[in-house]
Amino acid sequence: MIEVKDLNIGYVSKKKTVSVFSNINLSFNSGELVGLIGDNGVGKSTLIKTLTGFIKPLAGTILIDKKDILSFSAHDLSKTISIVSTEKVGGFNLTVFDVVALGRTPYISVFGKLNASDIECVEKSLQTLSINHLRDKLIDELSDGQRQKVMIAKSLAQETSIIILDEPTAFLDYKSKHNLFEVLKSLCKEQNKLVLVSSHDIDLMEKYVTKSVALLSENSIEIKKY
Amino acid sequence: MLLLFFADLFFGSVNLFSIKDNQALFDTILYSIRIPKAITCICAGSALALCGLLMQSLFRNPLAGPYVLGISSGASLFVAIATMLLTSINVSGLFLFGKSMITLFSVAGAFIITLLILFISKRNKSNVTVLLVGIMLSQILGALQGLIEFMASGNSLKTFIIWGMGSVSSTTLDDLIVIVPIFILAVVSSFFLIKPLNAILLNDNYASNLGVNISSLRLKVILVTAILVGVITAFCGPIAFVGISVPIASRLFFKTSNHLHQIVFCLLLGAGVVLLADVICQIMSSHFMLPINTITTIIGSPIVLYLLFKSKLHIA
Repeated sequence: MIEVKDLNIGYVSKKKTVSVFSNINLSFNSGELVGLIGDNGVGKSTLIKTLTGFIKPLAGTILIDKKDILSFSAHDLSKTISIVSTEKVGGFNLTVFDVVALGRTPYISVFGKLNASDIECVEKSLQTLSINHLRDKLIDELSDGQRQKVMIAKSLAQETSIIILDEPTAFLDYKSKHNLFEVLKSLCKEQNKLVLVSSHDIDLMEKYVTKSVALLSENSIEIKKY
Repeated sequence: MLLLFFADLFFGSVNLFSIKDNQALFDTILYSIRIPKAITCICAGSALALCGLLMQSLFRNPLAGPYVLGISSGASLFVAIATMLLTSINVSGLFLFGKSMITLFSVAGAFIITLLILFISKRNKSNVTVLLVGIMLSQILGALQGLIEFMASGNSLKTFIIWGMGSVSSTTLDDLIVIVPIFILAVVSSFFLIKPLNAILLNDNYASNLGVNISSLRLKVILVTAILVGVITAFCGPIAFVGISVPIASRLFFKTSNHLHQIVFCLLLGAGVVLLADVICQIMSSHFMLPINTITTIIGSPIVLYLLFKSKLHIA
């Protein structure tokens, strides 16, 4: 599903090009729950940003369903990969329902109106994450764990075959972490999605993921299957 | 809205009913003074409220607005420059040319300041910093304007200072031929920004993951804002507090994040507020003109404060 070949990732600014990690070769299939681990600053977030199309690879290729990521339009990409980050969202009257409904953005008309099938999809996403009781709550009234689930529900409503989560367990307590990974695991199993998670919780990863990718220093990568 | 519109037609230095026997005078006052003024109120109020809403969503900052961020000041400064230029070359025959030049200058001023604010807000994302920068910009622009006024001749200075207090009553039917189409065009185009504006409420990264082209959205919002603020400022002067307070009030009264509804509410509420302010102006001062800015500030700012405290800051 995702094939990464000789990838070199980093940042380009006006003055210089900084390579963060190079010579990355990976492949992921649908139904897999992939854990991405590595020390702070090693390049996990850069890799995630490159995989989601936020930044361009310095060299090498990323193929999604055998198609180069650079040839995707923003609109097509939004129907293929969805992200969940730890950045706080909220304010401006945003309710849980509103946020999940925004996942339908790539599918709806220019005036932003949801039709019956959009609403059905939002309802289904709320149910899958069992957050139906929160639907009318303002997003900034929620706990970190609840908000994380709302963002995952948004990703489900986006109906992408790939979901990428950047350190989703960062602010969560023990129980919420396990709860979150149970949800991710069932998404892979039941909906055959490819879920890629970065985290520092190695014990947790070992328990749930089907494959782990560790970014080590000096551009070496360790891949384990579980 | 309709009630306020008719109230605005009714109140003024001349009681319309007392002159209803004099048909010619009645017509003149109604058609060439009161109706243009009421339409100006609607355009100015709706336009500024819409700009405030667009900017608050784009910056995800409920404290943004054309007046507080110095965009109105930018337009003002450029109007000052244009006015002084025009009076110094003294082209009385080219009146229409003069007005359109002032409008163009005003739009350019608003555009430059909006771009500057956007540039700064991209480097420093804190709500407070953006606001502080806006206040500083207003101060600098105000000082520059003071400098120009200092060097100006007495006559152009007086025109300019009266204009600076904000007024909806100096527009003529000919002006409306310019204002109304631009206003309608800008409002209609804002309806095509609903979907990306909704998505950008999450944050820039989520929005672009949802397929929104952020830089193109920014440019479109800046264009709509600069054109509306520029045109309204050129004809009515800098009108305070409508741009910031109406979107805040609209979000507090109508608890929705959907821009389809918020745009409509802001347009109606903005028009209502400026019509009301003008009616109050007319009632309070039947023989001289009270600047509309006084009223919009007096009613605008306490409403914002009250709503802020009452709602535990949930608009932010």
